Amino acid sequence: MMTETLFGLPTGVDAAIRLLIVVGVMTVVVMALIYLERKVLARFQQRLGPTRTGPMGLLQSVADALKLISKEDIRPKNADPWVFELAPFLVFVPTFLGFVAVPFTIAWQVRELELGLLYVLAVSSVNILGWVMAGWGSDNRYAILGALRAVAQSISYELPLVLAMISVAMVANSLNLVEIVRQQATVPNIVWQPLPALLFFICLLAEMNRPPFDAPVGESEVVGGPYVEYSGIRWSMFFLGEYAAMFIMSLLGAAVFLGGGAWPLGEELGVGWQLALTVVKAGAIIFLMFWTRASFPRLRIDQMMSFSWKILLPASIAQILVTGGILVYNLPSGLEHTLLAVTSAIGVLFVYTAINRSVATPRPRPVVLVRRSEAAR
Amino acid sequence: MTNEDSAPARSLDGTIWPQVDRALSGITASAERAVLDVIVSIPRDEVVRGLKALKADEALAFDYLRCLTCVDNEEEGIDVVYHLYSTKHHHNLTVKAHLAPDDLFVDTATTVWRGANWYEREAAEMFGVRFRGHPDPRTLLMPEDMTDTFPLRKDHPLAEIEVLQGEGIAWGVEE
Amino acid sequence: MTNAVQSDHDFEVQDIMINMGPQHPATHGVFRMVLAVDGEIVRDVIPHIGYMHRGGEKLSETMDFRQGIGFMDRTEYLAQFNAELSYVMAVEALMDIQVPERAQWIRMILCELNRLSSHFMFTGAFGTDSGVFGTAFTYAFRWREEIMDLFEEITGDRLMYAYFRPGGLAWEVTDNFAQRVKYVLDQCRQGIKDVDNLITNNEVFKARTQNVGIISAEDAIDWGTTGPVLRGSGVPFDVRRDEPYLFYDQVDFDVPVGQVGDVYDRWCVRIEEMRQSVRIVEQCMAKLQPGPIMPERMPRMLRTPPGEVYIRTEAPRGEYGIYMVSKGGNRPHRLKIRSACFTNLQALKDMSVGNYVADAVLILGSLDIVLGETDR
Repeated sequence: MMTETLFGLPTGVDAAIRLLIVVGVMTVVVMALIYLERKVLARFQQRLGPTRTGPMGLLQSVADALKLISKEDIRPKNADPWVFELAPFLVFVPTFLGFVAVPFTIAWQVRELELGLLYVLAVSSVNILGWVMAGWGSDNRYAILGALRAVAQSISYELPLVLAMISVAMVANSLNLVEIVRQQATVPNIVWQPLPALLFFICLLAEMNRPPFDAPVGESEVVGGPYVEYSGIRWSMFFLGEYAAMFIMSLLGAAVFLGGGAWPLGEELGVGWQLALTVVKAGAIIFLMFWTRASFPRLRIDQMMSFSWKILLPASIAQILVTGGILVYNLPSGLEHTLLAVTSAIGVLFVYTAINRSVATPRPRPVVLVRRSEAAR
Repeated sequence: MTNEDSAPARSLDGTIWPQVDRALSGITASAERAVLDVIVSIPRDEVVRGLKALKADEALAFDYLRCLTCVDNEEEGIDVVYHLYSTKHHHNLTVKAHLAPDDLFVDTATTVWRGANWYEREAAEMFGVRFRGHPDPRTLLMPEDMTDTFPLRKDHPLAEIEVLQGEGIAWGVEE
Repeated sequence: MTNAVQSDHDFEVQDIMINMGPQHPATHGVFRMVLAVDGEIVRDVIPHIGYMHRGGEKLSETMDFRQGIGFMDRTEYLAQFNAELSYVMAVEALMDIQVPERAQWIRMILCELNRLSSHFMFTGAFGTDSGVFGTAFTYAFRWREEIMDLFEEITGDRLMYAYFRPGGLAWEVTDNFAQRVKYVLDQCRQGIKDVDNLITNNEVFKARTQNVGIISAEDAIDWGTTGPVLRGSGVPFDVRRDEPYLFYDQVDFDVPVGQVGDVYDRWCVRIEEMRQSVRIVEQCMAKLQPGPIMPERMPRMLRTPPGEVYIRTEAPRGEYGIYMVSKGGNRPHRLKIRSACFTNLQALKDMSVGNYVADAVLILGSLDIVLGETDR
């Protein structure tokens, strides 16, 4: 079901206009996100963040962009030219492609695709190629180490992410994102499926190399990871790609789990309200990402892998099995939904316990206090 | 050294010297009482044997090397000083080995405590003392190529270093 | 370093040498560490020190016993009072000077507050190493600033205090010393609780630091490690308790001892030491009486009789020892600074081999090195 072209213009012109809107909106949003991250993170850390450039530091992102654009474009002598120069595009462009299917409101999206959910997930995993190219083309040990880590991490966390989404798609009986939003008019999906929501959030952090899963770009170890040899515009393209992905996937999460523009005020709402609701929900997810960044140390690469394969993947597979088992009986809607919610909540508890037991402090007290009188003489 | 004759020698009663003497049986050792510790002087050729005996002895059990350094006594040679401690019995000891100025060799103590490693490297590069059998005799604090200057010796001047850098004055330090 | 692999083809597998430092966000100061890495596992660690070597021991031979105090600050520049204390105690032992009680109590208070500020610095830096970039750092430094404000009021300097003198203190403390110390202690209590809540029970932190960088008690003693590194491995050796100086035998405190010897234990030991330090300072404040801070008759020129002494104190990083040899005169004939970090760094290879590259950074951070005292 194609939406009509804007103002009845021919499809080519309509596509070009939508493209311009996408690029424009995304650039502004990304710059705003960079500023917001710095401010929010600073507040978590008891400091202020940018305050000097412009009122309240609002022009900081603009200043950064100007600085990066004016930098010299350095390429290492032994770097493979094509691989090195094409890598940023492969990281940057797929997230913009994902923009196409995400619904801002029930009526507004660039294109409404029947396979919207699948499309977004598929397209956003193309950036793995970009990292490999960046790491290999840089001819630098740290870059290769970081790139390999990034690829291993991405592939490992792709699976639970997709499987979690499958479970949601099963409940909604459709892959069309607009359809999924419509069905959450009264209750958002996070109530029926808290475990996929949790899995989605964790895998999201890992896909975008956000802390605590940012071993590939760990600053205090492999300084910068696959991006270490890039400077100026190329580096900023990686950066923009990361923030754009953050925005797109948060919109996806808001649409799939939090109800997009439809909940809590229903489908009939005006477009402006729907837009505002979507943005607020995406903003909440983004805030949660900033909060996680300020609170957790970095996971080591092997711990990350075992977390994904041993805890998240079994949880997501179990979720699919249970969801399928409940849906196949065609129970009355209320009972079915309650069962889904209860089993999924139990799944969340399982994941939490698994995490805790794997890092439990085995001894009764970590530290024994030796009293002065017990000085062995 | 002029004041030493007038200060009374402190007595060794009540210290661990008798046990140390017994543990070092067969090695000629002499002791004196310093401000806080007992200082035992052992001849250079037997110092590692003595340290091993001190570590192995049950009543002494000096399992912890606190510090290892050298003192340059100009014409009288260089003393290698070991400070020992026992984590079981909580007592201290200082062991000294005297090296004649033209004969600066001593066996390494890394066979007794691994922790002597860096101390000996530093003492070797600062004083020119050769620790025989050391597993890793590279310079530690000094640059790798400055193996012929021994800064902490008394005849190595302090003030002329600024003149050296950029001038290339011959040092006249004995090897 | 090559490992031959048996196969049809002739493969020669080499370890990658990763060079960390001397300019690197993770090495605390100018320290260079070369890791021989096989994939992600560390096979060998070759530390290179000496980038901050200033010839301090030689310099100290030219400075008299009051001038030499200034250099002590610059060695252990995060626990300065402990360094100065060792030096002045050595001079006092050689000259057999009796230090007045009030000066001893104040010295104790300042040393323990310095231990608190040094451990706050450790929590901040270690939090940064493990990835909580910024949060742990800013929290820890906020309370460290409170302590440093107090020190600035007393000594006039934020970092290089030069406040202790042989015989006592340079000048009297401020009039509102008691209130200020009480305020600082309240802040520190809150600070320890905050840092503890943020990091110690954090699942990711526990996963990163447990069973990493283990050193057994025998190895730790053999290498000569001291301080939280040794106590983390289960050896209850604390100079304050086993060979008490100042008035540590008159205050009540516990010595935290770990059980496994990994990085997590060292962290917990330091956090617990901070709590004990607060306890000690409280008891000292209760016992502080007005009185003189220097003996009545102090010679203008300090001449020590010939002799030698090895004084050890418990600095936050371990045992900070001063071996002073005097042949009469007003300068030391030989001054050897036995620094805790120098000795602890020898054990770095034993701790790191077999762990991952990412852990090498954490293990180095848990040793809490200060290059000033390692290189002197």
